This record gives sequence, C-alpha cells and structure tokens, in this order.
Amino acid sequence: MRYSLIITIIIVLGAIFVSGCLDHQDEQEEEIPWNLTLTDGESTILLSMEDIRALKPVTGHAYAVSTVGIRYGPYRVKGVDILDLLDLIGGAGENDLLYISAPDGYLWVFDTEQASGSGFLTFNTDLKEIPSPPLRVIIAYEQDGKPLTYNDGGPLRLIITSDTSDVITEGSSWVKWVDRIEIRRR
Amino acid sequence: MMRYILLLMVFIVLISGCTGVQDEKTTLRVFAAGSALGPLATIEAEYEEIYPMVDVQIHGHGSIQVIRQVTDLRRQADLVVVADESLIPDMMFQPMGEGLGNFTEEYYPFATGAIVIAYTERSAYADEITDENWHTILRRPDVRIGFSNPMLDACGYRALMVVKLAENYYHDEKIFDEMLGNHIHPPPRIITTSSGTTIHLPEMIQPDGDKVRIRDGSIFLLSLLETGGIDYAFEYRSVAEEHGLHWIDLPPEIDLSSEMYDEEYGVVTVHLGFQRFSSIGMDRTGQPIVYAAAIPSTAPNKEEAVRFLGFMVDAFSTGREAWPEPIQ
Repeated sequence: MRYSLIITIIIVLGAIFVSGCLDHQDEQEEEIPWNLTLTDGESTILLSMEDIRALKPVTGHAYAVSTVGIRYGPYRVKGVDILDLLDLIGGAGENDLLYISAPDGYLWVFDTEQASGSGFLTFNTDLKEIPSPPLRVIIAYEQDGKPLTYNDGGPLRLIITSDTSDVITEGSSWVKWVDRIEIRRR
Repeated sequence: MMRYILLLMVFIVLISGCTGVQDEKTTLRVFAAGSALGPLATIEAEYEEIYPMVDVQIHGHGSIQVIRQVTDLRRQADLVVVADESLIPDMMFQPMGEGLGNFTEEYYPFATGAIVIAYTERSAYADEITDENWHTILRRPDVRIGFSNPMLDACGYRALMVVKLAENYYHDEKIFDEMLGNHIHPPPRIITTSSGTTIHLPEMIQPDGDKVRIRDGSIFLLSLLETGGIDYAFEYRSVAEEHGLHWIDLPPEIDLSSEMYDEEYGVVTVHLGFQRFSSIGMDRTGQPIVYAAAIPSTAPNKEEAVRFLGFMVDAFSTGREAWPEPIQ
C-alpha cells in the first residue's frame, strides 16, 4: 500500500511537472550586441555595454505617461547619469543641444538644462501637474533588477528618474534603443 | 489503483491547459490615434458584444507613431487608425523590404475633424468670446492659451496653421505673433513666398512667459483647462465635445474641416524643429483633417480586420455625438 502511494505521488508530481507542456521559454532575453556612440562632431567615443556598466551606476524611480495618457510604471531603474557620459566628450555647454537617437530612426532633442534634470513637466499618479521634484536623466540598462528588455526599449533607454515612485514624467522623452548621443555645440 | 492514478493524471493535464486545445478567441490588434480612442472604445464594446469570440485590443499613440508600429518597429497590427489620412500613403505605400510588397495598398477615409477653441465657464472672458472676436480675446495679455507640442501631436501643428490662416481670413497680419509667436522661445521664423507661408519651429519649442502653455498631448491641455491653468486650448471639436467643454467653432476657411478649402489650407506649412522620425520629413502642410484606416499587409487576422473595419466605418457614418464628423 505504502509502495503504491509513493508511486502515485511520483506519477502525480510528474504529471504536474509535464503539464506545463514543457514549452516554457527561457525567460532570460539573450543580450543584444550594442554600442553607444558619443560625439560632438569633432571627437567620437564608442562605448560597449561592458564599458557603460563599468561607469558609476545610478538608480532611481521611473514612471512615464504617453502622449495619449497611458501610464507605464512605476519601475526601479539603473543606469548611467547622462552628465557622466557627456563628460567623456568634454561635457555640454549652456547653449548646446543633445540629439539622442536610436537605430529605428527616432530622434529627440534635449537642452543642457534638461540633461541636468530641470525643465520637465511632472505629474502625480492622477496625472495632475505638480511642481517638479529633483530629477535625473539616465541612460538605463536595468529595470526592476533585470537587464532592460528590447520591448522595454533596451539594451539602453533614456529615462527620467526621480527619488520617489509617485512622480510621473512625459514618456515622449524616454528614447528607446539609444545608440547615439550627439552634442551640437553652439 | 493504476486506474485511479491514470484518471488523476488525465484530470491534472486537462486542468493545466495542456491538451493542445487553444482558447478560440481571436485577438484583433488595432493601433489608433489618441483623438479616436473615445469612439473606438465604444465600437470595441459593441463589436465584442456581437462577436464574443473576438478580443479587440486598442493601443493608442500619436498618428505617426501608430504607423511606425507597423513600418519601423515591425509590430503586428490588424488595423491602423490615424487622424491624418495623408500619413498612410506617405509612410505605408512603401515596400516592406527589397522585393517585398508595400506595407499596405489602400486606405479608407471615414471621418473628418475640425479645430476649435475649447474653454470652460471659468475661462477669462468666457462670457464675452464669440466666433467673431475670438482672435482678439486670445491676444489679450491676461489670457492664457494652450496647444499641444507640434513635434508630438498633429493637433499641435494644426493649431499653428489655424492661427496663421486666421491672419488672411481676418486681414490682420499680427494675429500669429501676438497670440502665439511672441510667446514662444525662441520665436518661430515665418517665411512667406509667392507659394505660401512656412512657420519654422525651433528645435526646442518652449513658452516664453505665462501666456502660452505647450503640452505633449491634448489630454494634458484638458487637465489644464479643468484646473484653470489655461483659459483656452486648441482642440479637435470631437475632443472638446467628448469632455464636456465649451468651444468656439471657427470659420471653415481656417478650421481645417472642409475639402472645399483644401487649396486655401495648403498655403501654410509648419517646418518642424528636427526630424523626429527618419521615415517622415519635417514639413506638415495644411489640409483638411480626415481620419483614415488601413489594414497592413502583414495583418495576422485580415478577414477579421476587414469585418471590424466595415463595422467601424458604419458606426462613424451614423454621426454620433462627440465623435469626429462622418465623411460626406
């Protein structure tokens, strides 16, 4: 009797195990080879993901709203402060503009005030405008403790972060799949 | 004993969804412009009630982003719905790759829109503004105006076109600068030639002072109107109606609503501050506001998309309250 019970338990556990249809994908997304080009028109630096991860990391809360009012987040993200990246090519001057672009053909332009975290609109979780708390612009490579997936704009995405999880920023600036940061000197 | 074990195993396999029998529901993915989302939510509910085995999933974006989901990002969509019909031939009548067909071969215009001046009863001079004096009221120093970012929203560059067209209509060449241009930093450059006027926007379009507020999309202007952050906003009429706002209808010669004035609208072009998308240029030229839909060549559920499109076009043709107008 005891033998039958053990066999039953083994078979039932086996059935439960295989009943997942054995079709689970490996949830770890394979890392896409990726480089980030930093340029100011005169000098150019090419950073690998390894180079970027070796820079001083920063973390923050991230919460975005799309142009049609859809919220994304909140997330906890990790990456590199964009000011640290700009410093690698001599930093950005007060009147310079930053052209941040991606291989899908998307481009967004920031001024240096924004690169320092100022000049953005911020909202509470009801999408009411609130005075902007301190913000930081980062080039993120991790979201909620995992590498940023392609669907979420990875391997590298420009993200505006705050110190708390209840601050929403405009998602139009969150450039996905960033592979180029160009300083236009003025 | 073995019989019970086998029965138990069959039961576990059945409840675990491992029988190979899939949920029969068809998912219909629709990418749609923000200003069409209200009506589409109603259409979705009505359609799913008639066809319960179809799950219509609507994803909202700006019109250009709607098309880019298919063309640049290669996402699977069964239908795209945009608030600017010209975007479809411009961006989708293009080959999907070497030796491949176009992203789509045809599109279906189904509704029209108009730009209006939306406001609330608390807006400054709400009891004074009319469809004749709006262009003087909005220029008053204490009146705050909102429009959406022309880089992000078609309603934004259309607002600029309407104000520029108003100069010709009212024979007053100061309207644009006094209402908007002088309150943007740096101010747009206006270049007029024999073929028309082009408004050249700076790369960073930002308000200069408190008179003008620029937001990413019209939803944020509605919020500002409700809280008194602005007095007037340039919006689509259907959006103003949907949100229970007051609005001023503008003359059809300038409100971008009528095919009759296609040529007149076309004299104004907005040249954007930078090329946000490599797949579309920086010039937007005035034309009637026409909503249109297309089924991408790569649509996974073409037959269902055709049926939904027909249902949607029929729904819009009835001219419901707070929806874009049916196409004539």
